[in-house]
Amino acid sequence: MRRLRWTTLLTHVVLLFGAFLAAMPFLWVITTSLKPNGALYQPPLLLPTHFEWENYRKAWEAAPFPRFFLNSAVMTVALTVLQTLLSAMAGYAFARLRFPGRNLLFFIVLGTLMIPFPVTLIPNFLTVNALGWVDTYQALIIPRAVSAFAIFLFRQFFLSIPKELEEAARIDGASPFTIFWRIVLPLSTPVLAASAIFSFLFAWNDFLWPLIVTNSTEMRTVQVGLATFQGQYGIFWTLLCAATVIVTLPALLAFLAAQRRFIEGITSTGLKE
Amino acid sequence: MRTLTAVVTVALLSASPALAVDLTFWHYWDGTNGQALQKLIDQYQKAHPGVNIKAEFVPGGELQTKLQTAITGHRTPSMAIADLTNMPALVRSGALVPLDPYMAKSKVNLGDYFQGPLVYGKYQGGQYSLPVSASNLALFYNKDLFRQAGLDPNKPPRTWEELEQVAKTIQAKTGKQGFELFTQGGEGTSWQWQVFLWGAGGDVLNKQNTAAAFNSPAGVKALQYWVDLVNKDKVSNVAPWGQFGRGDAAMVMDGSWMTQFFPEQIDFELGSAPFPSPKGMPPATNMGGEQVFIFKGDPATQQAAWDFINWFSSTPVQIQWDRMTGFMPVKKSVANAPSYRNWVKNTRPLLQPFVDSMAFAHPRPPVPEYAQLSDRLAQAIQEAVTGRAKPADALNRAAQDVNRLLK
Amino acid sequence: MHASRPLPLSRSPRRAREARSWPTALLFLLPAIVILGTFNVYPALYSLYLSFFEWNGFTPNRDWVGGGNYAQLVTSPEFWNSLKVTALYAGGVTLASLALGLLVAVLLNQPIRGRTFYRVLYFLPVITPTVAAGVVWKYLFDPTQGAVNNLLGSIGIHGPNWLVDPKWALLAVIIVGVWKRVGFNVVVYLAALQGVPRAYYEAAQIDGATPWQQLRYVTVPLLAPTTFFLVITSLIEAFQVFDLVYVMTAGGPLGATDVFGFYLYREGFKYSQLGFASAIAYVMFALIFLATVVQFRFTRGGQDA
Repeated sequence: MRRLRWTTLLTHVVLLFGAFLAAMPFLWVITTSLKPNGALYQPPLLLPTHFEWENYRKAWEAAPFPRFFLNSAVMTVALTVLQTLLSAMAGYAFARLRFPGRNLLFFIVLGTLMIPFPVTLIPNFLTVNALGWVDTYQALIIPRAVSAFAIFLFRQFFLSIPKELEEAARIDGASPFTIFWRIVLPLSTPVLAASAIFSFLFAWNDFLWPLIVTNSTEMRTVQVGLATFQGQYGIFWTLLCAATVIVTLPALLAFLAAQRRFIEGITSTGLKE
Repeated sequence: MRTLTAVVTVALLSASPALAVDLTFWHYWDGTNGQALQKLIDQYQKAHPGVNIKAEFVPGGELQTKLQTAITGHRTPSMAIADLTNMPALVRSGALVPLDPYMAKSKVNLGDYFQGPLVYGKYQGGQYSLPVSASNLALFYNKDLFRQAGLDPNKPPRTWEELEQVAKTIQAKTGKQGFELFTQGGEGTSWQWQVFLWGAGGDVLNKQNTAAAFNSPAGVKALQYWVDLVNKDKVSNVAPWGQFGRGDAAMVMDGSWMTQFFPEQIDFELGSAPFPSPKGMPPATNMGGEQVFIFKGDPATQQAAWDFINWFSSTPVQIQWDRMTGFMPVKKSVANAPSYRNWVKNTRPLLQPFVDSMAFAHPRPPVPEYAQLSDRLAQAIQEAVTGRAKPADALNRAAQDVNRLLK
Repeated sequence: MHASRPLPLSRSPRRAREARSWPTALLFLLPAIVILGTFNVYPALYSLYLSFFEWNGFTPNRDWVGGGNYAQLVTSPEFWNSLKVTALYAGGVTLASLALGLLVAVLLNQPIRGRTFYRVLYFLPVITPTVAAGVVWKYLFDPTQGAVNNLLGSIGIHGPNWLVDPKWALLAVIIVGVWKRVGFNVVVYLAALQGVPRAYYEAAQIDGATPWQQLRYVTVPLLAPTTFFLVITSLIEAFQVFDLVYVMTAGGPLGATDVFGFYLYREGFKYSQLGFASAIAYVMFALIFLATVVQFRFTRGGQDA
């Protein structure tokens, strides 16, 4: 099988080239995070040759990061669970249930994605303020507990899975909710994992909304911590990069944990047709 | 009897200014500046038990948005700072307290302030904010490249003509860019160019801030100078900003805050000097900085906020503040104080030219439309520098648009 | 092979039962309706209302200008420039990132070594902070020292002055936009590829289909709903892109990269014209919505290949 090896090699060459392009900026971040004073513009730019671990300590102490991590963790876990579950439910309704006005309602959901976030900032702040939620976890979580983006993702995925199993269960007299919970969700690990990862990243990287609805340092999130290094007068590059590495780690770990689920797939559920 | 004593004591306590009061203070001072603020607040709280000041940091780019939502939702802090270019919109918001009665009661001497920045707090005859920090622009140069080109590293150019000459020499001898200009548009281009405009004797707007004045002969001269640097002498190129920091350009105009940032980033010997002006013209520079103001609240909170601001603005505290942060003085008594001057001379010599330039610093026009005006002006500068229009035409067209804007 | 088209639903009494299934649907949709209604639909309507006013976001009073903001918008050359720039950006990023995303996903869906390693690397752009990415890409596009022009130079092409030449700046920003988006598409496509039963490929192989034919006649049709999702979300994202442009070019040089997202930020946040910015937002909304409806019709909601 000579030809096969050839294609494998070619595949790896293509993938490696792309992977290098993809990783380059992050390599720069790691390298810069370890640079001493004065070496910012000196090559090498993608491989650390200095190891100024002190930068990490300084970055960690420059802002109340432990508290920021706690807040981000609370917000991220809550949003990941709520967005995935509630959006999957809605996505299922749009994909499988029939009811009058289904398409209209779906278009309204899609439409909300098309309104640029900045123009919703003031009305949403006024709502949260009227509810008395400023500076609370509610403000960070509830307004975004459902994601139109995730609804859309789930709907498209549910459309593409075979209907036979659901049909069989319905004939056996299972309720729609039972079918969803018992049959559809277990079949949907790949998309659940994908959606969870997107929710996680959305929450973890969220900056403007948490900043607008919180006033006290005790309620701030990691991204606000990162912003302290991008000052009004200039950027503290080495500290910013060190803090970026620290803050990005949880997102990377979450991705690693979830990515195995993308491959697990339907093959393992015994459904092969 | 004991209750009576207690009542009397309470009465005496409440008569003294040390009322228990909570203040919130929004600011964007990050890093060492934020730590310096906290230090001063701690000092103040020690001297004024019962006053509790909570400083809340908001990243610079978002502070204005945050103030906007706070004003709209009637959830403002007791006091805040803002970049001076954002003051015109804030003083017109109706949410700020006029400071005049407080200043009169505390006998504040406004004459001690550098007059330039004060214009940002003026509205309908009242003063709504006070400068608490300043920054300005001057020349930074790479001493190593001066030496390589056979120039005296302690003789930076003093005039436009010398600047051109030095840039040409360095470029010929070292192959590096002579002088880096910010050509990427927006405020970065606009506020650099204004220094050239003022240096040539021009101004951005007329005296009443009602019409453009930058398309004057002085404006054309300043823009022609830029066009020549780029196209005739070829000592400045149209390229992404950052060549000077990398050691690829010998000179640059940048802000006083860079005396803190450059040493952390670069690996060459740095010099600074007042920015050159045309031969026989007085020097000029642009100024930045922050102003502090009080939001409408209950009288006790407003008074307590003022008491803190008044203390923070006092000359001894401002000397401490400027020494900790590297900000330029906002008051003459600070700039002239021996303890401040000695500190600059001995520990921050790079800052000296900036301190000396403070007396020649012009304010950008204090109009709410400034951001738009600045972008439009920068566009004209880019058109001229890239050869799309003659300087006079580009400036005249921009002036027409700006006049429409100011109506 | 009915791989490309789901069987039409049999017309049975079930339809009558489904028409009455509002209560069931409501059970599934209630949280979405309440939350999206309060925090997405209401602000959208508020923003529509605001687009008929002149307001700087600070003063208590707002001035009614009727359709004035819209009139000002369609007569402004900046708007038409932004429309052109956005269309090019959105089209370029969407097409290129879809093709590359599909290619990488198909390659990574095979049992090859280092799959996890590749997946993580391809995902890095999604989590790399834009400010850092901007620095690196700016350096790569540097006309004299950048890797891009050095590479071009090595094959005898004199590279342009990327980010400061209005003719080339948009292409540079599109390249970075694609770089940032591909990893996302890979993740979604990988999830969807799991749903393609292996039997289809086995059947195709027995019929003697080449890998290319398998991709063309099995994979692509079966991924249609996913592709529909990715096209729409990619367009939405491209229409609203802001931070990438902000760190790369700030809309310049001379408006060459002034995408809608940046235009909106400038008018709304920098110039404090919230009414005008809301009008821009609504025009953006209308354009994307139209594009979505057309595609929805075209593909029957992404159910069709």
